[in-house]
Parts: sequence; structure tokens; C-alpha cells
Amino acid sequence: MSVSLHLVTEPGRVGAADILATPAVLPRHGTESLTGVDVHDLAAHRAEFGLRRSHLGAAAASLLAAIEEVRLTGRGGGHFPTTAKWRSVMTHGAGGTVVANGAEGEPGSAKDAVLLQTRPHLVLDGLVSSMEVVGASDGVVWLHDGAWASARAVSRALAERAAAGAGDPQIRVLLAPDRYLSGEATGIIRTLEGGPTLPRYVEDPARPWSPGSRPVLVNNVETMARVGLLATVGAEEYLPTSLLTVVNATHRVVLEVGPGTTFGDVVARTWTSPDGRPPQAVLLGGYGGSWVSWDDLRAMPVDVAGLRAAGLSLGAGLVGPLPASACGLEESARLLRYLAGQSARQCGPCVFGLAAVSELADDLSAGRLAPSGRRRLGRFMGEIQGRGACRHPDGALRMLASALVVFGDDVRHHRRGRTCDAPTYAIMPLPGED
Amino acid sequence: MSRHATVREARPLRPAAGSSALRIDPSLCDGVGICAHLAPDLVSVDSWGYPILRAGVLGSASERRQADAAVAACPRRALRVSS
Repeated sequence: MSVSLHLVTEPGRVGAADILATPAVLPRHGTESLTGVDVHDLAAHRAEFGLRRSHLGAAAASLLAAIEEVRLTGRGGGHFPTTAKWRSVMTHGAGGTVVANGAEGEPGSAKDAVLLQTRPHLVLDGLVSSMEVVGASDGVVWLHDGAWASARAVSRALAERAAAGAGDPQIRVLLAPDRYLSGEATGIIRTLEGGPTLPRYVEDPARPWSPGSRPVLVNNVETMARVGLLATVGAEEYLPTSLLTVVNATHRVVLEVGPGTTFGDVVARTWTSPDGRPPQAVLLGGYGGSWVSWDDLRAMPVDVAGLRAAGLSLGAGLVGPLPASACGLEESARLLRYLAGQSARQCGPCVFGLAAVSELADDLSAGRLAPSGRRRLGRFMGEIQGRGACRHPDGALRMLASALVVFGDDVRHHRRGRTCDAPTYAIMPLPGED
Repeated sequence: MSRHATVREARPLRPAAGSSALRIDPSLCDGVGICAHLAPDLVSVDSWGYPILRAGVLGSASERRQADAAVAACPRRALRVSS
């Protein structure tokens, strides 16, 4: 496999503080075997990025300022500034928990696993620094059951740091059930409070922990790695890159790209077309993300702000090209079936609504959706929107709604009782398939 | 121990009229549907019998009464009036 590129395309700044030196190649399923990676042990980490500066006490302000200077935001659709969450935790007193969330429930995504396995110290530097800033006494690396290679890498890194006298606070590695929603922040907090790992309704998003409980800050491990970068090299050397996972028929590629890189560049260099043609569309962000037609996406830079202006989100960083010869409706119906099955089964609109929408999407895909079914599909989608305790149903509907637009020609074709005659093959990886 | 000596969560003070809203924790709701009968101006039901809450604050005294009745009647304690 010839995937030897490094796409940080900022003139004069190549070699500055980027995170991954080379792209990593993984199988379609699982994150236990990476190739093309260089793993940073503590010595290599310090040689590359230097020593982490302490951000205890008065020094906390400098890290907050650095995070704000580079406009670090969360990876949810809202793109909330990272420090907004931090400041909310800080106003509720010390002694809380900070969680580095690497559960990575998106079956296609592997960037968090690559980060944890190759740059564990960068993630841990970020975790320790964020604990210092918000005054937390408990650190958690949150993974999912079965992510053994990541768990091993983090445990090894923690042992290395202890042996080197890094003076880190207490950090635990916790393994959540291996489900799509295991990385959902309110479910993580609920677990830490002694409850099940299931999403929870939160009235005030700025205070997702229970009244009387200690504050909990949950940040994705990529955010933690970026905080780690800012805590070592500082904002001057920081590059606003993005970590992406590109899904291929036979493998996945995790790579880091600079904001000048277009999706056309990314796909041209990391995706092998099964039919020799460019993709017709790309699923962006995750299975609860959005389909974007290739014509619209090709020239767009991989830049959070630019995508946001276009109503799009990088989400979990998934880039899933759909081959020109595949059927987008069939693939969407397949993903929707999976998402409906991954409901935490707590909220009626999600349990019953997603199941009903999924059945109608199957009918559409199979070319047997009657006009009455079309009307029901529209009504159901309107009824479900925004009515779960978490955003799971909203994500599933976003994906389907984008499919109905992007594959609009196919929708008309399928409505006439025909299907695409596309080769039936799975595009996006799902657990238990292939 | 008396069977009445159960611990109850303290209820927050009633927010000022005009800024309060009816809210639901959808993970507690089982779609019993009493709310839609007691608060017809505030609650409708979806295709599966689960309540859809009208957006916005509680304006009139009548809306306020309907909201209080729905909150009190919900067997799952899924509803509350909050600011």
C-alpha cells in the first residue's frame, strides 16, 4: 500500500507542531493492528514536543488564553469553544473529574485509537494540564471494551510517566461497553456517578452533572492531544490541523491534514475507487453526519470554520466516500438500521420513531415506498427531531435527510418502483459484518 | 420506619410567571399520555403516543394551571415547570 504522505500544507510551517508524522493504515474493522505508525514513548514524545509546562494556579490563565487564541472547539455539531466547558466546570469548584474520551463509538472512525496508540503522552499531557487548569483531582481515560491495543498503550504510557517521576495526578483507565453511544458525554458522567452507561437528559448543558455531584469535564482525546500540544509547544507553534479517518473498501486511513488541504486532495491520496471513478458523495463526520455530494465537497478545504459556514461538521472526522456505482439510498438505509438498533432504548421518539423511519427507508431503498409511506416518512422525521434525551435520533435523521437531498435523483427513481441495480456491497464498516 | 418517611427531592422555588416553561425528560416518559389531556394547549402526542411539548414560555394563567396539572399527574415524574 502506497500511502506515504503528510498533508500539512502550510508553507514554511511543515515540521512545526503537528500531531501525527505519517498516516496510519488500519483494517476495515477493529483498531488492534496499525501499520505505518511511529509510536512515541516518553523519550520520543519529549524529544518531539518538549516538556509539558505546569498550568497550576496562576499559570492556568495562560493555557486558557492559548486554547482561545487557536479557537479550539469541541467536535460536536455545535462547535462550542473548548474553554466554555472548562470555565463552567471551574465555577463549580475544585475536586472534580476530567475525562479524556476515547470511546470512539463511530464504527468507521479510528483517529482516536491511532492517537492513543501512537501519541499517548500527548493525550495524557492534555489530560493532566486540563486537570490542573480546572482543579480536578480525578483523571479518566475513557475507552470501550475491546479497545485492548489503546488500553495497553495508555497503561504503558502511564507506567512510563510514573517511572520518570512525572508527578501526574491519579489517572484511571475505564472501559465502557462497546456500543455506538458509549462515548456520549452524559452517559459517561452518569457512569462516574454510579449509574448505567446510558445518555441522560440534561436541562443545562453547561452543568451536565447531577446536583450535589462533583463537576465532570469530558473532552474527546483529540481535543486533549491539542491541549497537550498547547501545553508543551504553545500557541505560536500550534497548527490548526484535523484528524480524519478515510474509509476504503479494504482498509481505513487515519491522517492529519492542514486547513489548506481540500477534500479532493484527501480523497485523491487516501481512497482507492472500486470502480475507477470519483465518488458520487461523501458521508462526512460520522454515521449521524451528513452526505455531501462530491461536486460540492471536492474543492472545500478541511477547515472547521469553513465547514461550519456551509452547515457541515467534521464531527468524529469520518470521511466515507460513496463509490459512483453504489446506491446511496441503500447505504443510508443500512446505516439507519444500525443507528436505530443502537438506540439506548430510553426515549419513545428514538425507540419507536427511529425504528419506524428505518423501516420506511428500507422500503424506499427497495423501491416499494408507497405515496402514503412517503407522507409518513416526512411526518415521522418532523416529529422525532430534537425529542431525545441525547442527540442520537437527531444525528440519524440528519444523515437520512441529507441522503434524500444528495441522492434526490435516486429517490425519484426508487419511488417509481425501480432500484439502482447497484452492486450490493457494504461501504461503511459496521460491527459484526464483513 | 414509617412508610411515609421517604426521601423526596426538594422542589425548586416556582419561577416568575412569564419566564417559566413546561419541560420533559424524554428518558423517563413512557407515553402514558395524561399530560395531553390535562394540558391540551401545551401538549400534543406524536405518532407513537409520546408527548410533544409546545415550545415557548407559559404565558397565561390558564397555561400555567394546565402545566401544573400535567406535572402533578405524570406517573413517571417526567414533567416539570422550570425557568
